[in-house]
Amino acid sequence: MSIYEIGRICVKIAGRDAGRKCVVVENVDDIFVMIDGDVRRKKVNIRHLEPLAEVIKIADKASHAEVKAAFEKLGLAVWDKKSKKQTERPKQIRKAKKKVVEEKSKKEKKAETKSEQKEVKKETVAEVSVEEKQEVEELSAGETVEAETKEE
Amino acid sequence: MPRGMHKSRTLRRVFVKTPGGKTTLHYRKRKPSKAICASCKKQLAGVPNERPYKMMTMAKTAKRPERPYGGVLCSPCTRKLLQQKAHQSVEEKK
Repeated sequence: MSIYEIGRICVKIAGRDAGRKCVVVENVDDIFVMIDGDVRRKKVNIRHLEPLAEVIKIADKASHAEVKAAFEKLGLAVWDKKSKKQTERPKQIRKAKKKVVEEKSKKEKKAETKSEQKEVKKETVAEVSVEEKQEVEELSAGETVEAETKEE
Repeated sequence: MPRGMHKSRTLRRVFVKTPGGKTTLHYRKRKPSKAICASCKKQLAGVPNERPYKMMTMAKTAKRPERPYGGVLCSPCTRKLLQQKAHQSVEEKK
């Protein structure tokens, strides 16, 4: 039986996880073993491992949760996946459109102003005419009064 | 004839092929020396030797191997060091 039995604690000496502790979970063949613990769970060549003295009791093909529980008893750190949540894309919020006042053409503008002026003039004329009429009436009334006095 | 300043070998010479098919001589600044292992003095793999302005534009992961002592020790020396550390920890526990 090789030294890399199930439950053997090792140090990884190659690659990204080098210097971290792990435990043998499964013997794949003479050269490869499955490891888990403070490393990414993966199949590795035994030449990339350095065995330590400790052997822990662990089931063959133990799950990550079991390994995690065993490692926490020993007071060792455990590698956990840091699966990122997909961040929402920043949405562009459109600014509320300002109500665009339709610019009237120059001709229309001129026509409008002219018509307004005309109306104003008409009103003034009408007022004047009313006043004149009143005056005329008063005058006529006076005349009639005078006529009446003459008759007497 | 090259210019006086180009006669010295301060600048390295680069042959550049122009769009017209001619080869012309360009002068460029020399690259810094290659990175070496701190223990065995061998050249390190995976560590580029570019001028600082080019290194600044590179990602951190493109500038050294992603392992402990990456960019300082070569991989065999790192293994030896980690093995030694493991043995030390075993002996201390005994």
